[in-house]
Amino acid sequence: MRSKVFAVRTWKEILRDPLSYIFCLGFPLVMLVIMSVIDRSIPADAGMEVFRIYNLAPGIAYFGLTFVMLFISVQVSKDRTTALLLRLYASPMKPVEYILGYTMPMLVLSLVQMVLCFGASFVISVCIGNNLALGEMVLSVVALLPSVLLFVGLGILFGSLVNEKAAPGLCSILISAAGMIGGIWMDVDGIGGTIAKIAKVLPFYHGVTLARMPFRGSVEGITEHLIWTVVCALLVYGLATAVFCHKMKKDMK
Amino acid sequence: MTNSIEIKGLRKAFGDKIAVDDLSLEIPRGSLYALLGVNGAGKTTTIRMLTGLTMPTRGEACIMGHNIVTESDEVKKLVNISPQETSVAPNLTVRENLEFIAGIYGIPKKDLKERVEQIIKQFAMEEVVNQKAKTLSGGWQRKLNIAMALITEPEVLFLDEPTLGIDVLARRELWREIEALKGKITIILTTHYMEEAEMLADEIAIMAKGQLLATGTPRELKEQTHTNRLEDAFVKIVEGTAYEE
Repeated sequence: MRSKVFAVRTWKEILRDPLSYIFCLGFPLVMLVIMSVIDRSIPADAGMEVFRIYNLAPGIAYFGLTFVMLFISVQVSKDRTTALLLRLYASPMKPVEYILGYTMPMLVLSLVQMVLCFGASFVISVCIGNNLALGEMVLSVVALLPSVLLFVGLGILFGSLVNEKAAPGLCSILISAAGMIGGIWMDVDGIGGTIAKIAKVLPFYHGVTLARMPFRGSVEGITEHLIWTVVCALLVYGLATAVFCHKMKKDMK
Repeated sequence: MTNSIEIKGLRKAFGDKIAVDDLSLEIPRGSLYALLGVNGAGKTTTIRMLTGLTMPTRGEACIMGHNIVTESDEVKKLVNISPQETSVAPNLTVRENLEFIAGIYGIPKKDLKERVEQIIKQFAMEEVVNQKAKTLSGGWQRKLNIAMALITEPEVLFLDEPTLGIDVLARRELWREIEALKGKITIILTTHYMEEAEMLADEIAIMAKGQLLATGTPRELKEQTHTNRLEDAFVKIVEGTAYEE
């Protein structure tokens, strides 16, 4: 119950910041349109498939989740530096209720973001005559769920570790990393070498590949991608919870 | 039970620095008790220990019969704090802030609306009720800060420098609000302002360098030091200790 009350507060705090709309919803959609236009300009015989709508839609949906990380990290760090958390530490709230209170609204926001992204992608796919199927989009959303947990975890982790000014910078590094070596903006498998090796150690490439699988109609390598994505998400979320609780205890020493 | 708070030999050390040293106090139920001291006297640390925001290094304290360390969950249900810094959710309206804190303390939905309306009326906040907290003036934010602590109907309310940094009119208004609470709940007030302590407190504890130097009613403190003003009594008590060192 307390976590729900806290979640509603977090939801309102984030939604009442206009930047949330610009970055969480607007920016990924703008990127979707721009990249679709670029894709139309690339000759078919160039063999560049990364911006095709069936790759782009799940890629942009993944990219949008990185902004969820940014917003929750700023919110957590902001809460830590204001006296509001001090007041709440004196209340009967338990550490797990803070974590749930931060997580729940982000799950909802992520879902809204993914639905809007796939909705816009569907319209684009119809316009270019390459319709995305509803079932594939739903499966892709399901495949993205572990990544939602990963980015919420990363957001809480960064928000617990650094202040409000440093959090956006730190998140920007990961947003860029997720975009590039996650394979959203470039074909990691096509590049190969060290870049591909690094990409495959991090969870982003696996998360993006997992989200693209329903559109490819192939489940080749699904176990590896699923394990990497789920294990990383659970580890990061667990670490974020531990760090937040540790910081809370430290604040109260 | 006659005492809301019983403190015995409470101590808080941060490494080598002792913030509160061997503090013992008994605070009667329903009284308004002021902790008076200069910066670094240990007032805020005392409040932080009593509200479970920091653990004592040694000693013990009970609030309404519950030990602050071993029964902290029980204590947290009985107390509330209005911290020194304004602690409101900036993007929430005044009403939403009140509903938020009431919800955190588990006030049932059926009582919540009535309680919020009552507090809004009590603090005459009707004109700003739908305004976001971040857009309020300092005085209104302070009022909201206290209202958020009161909405949970605590047995013991801690007011940490409640009128710090607000203008004289807003301060007078807050004094009236605090005075209206006297006798209903136990209030622990920390302040720098002698006038505030003299005007509001039933009893005053004077602290310096983490130690309790004197306790008594404003009148008793003036009599003890043969002064006519509380400020003179305070200076005499605090400087007396300083000279001894």
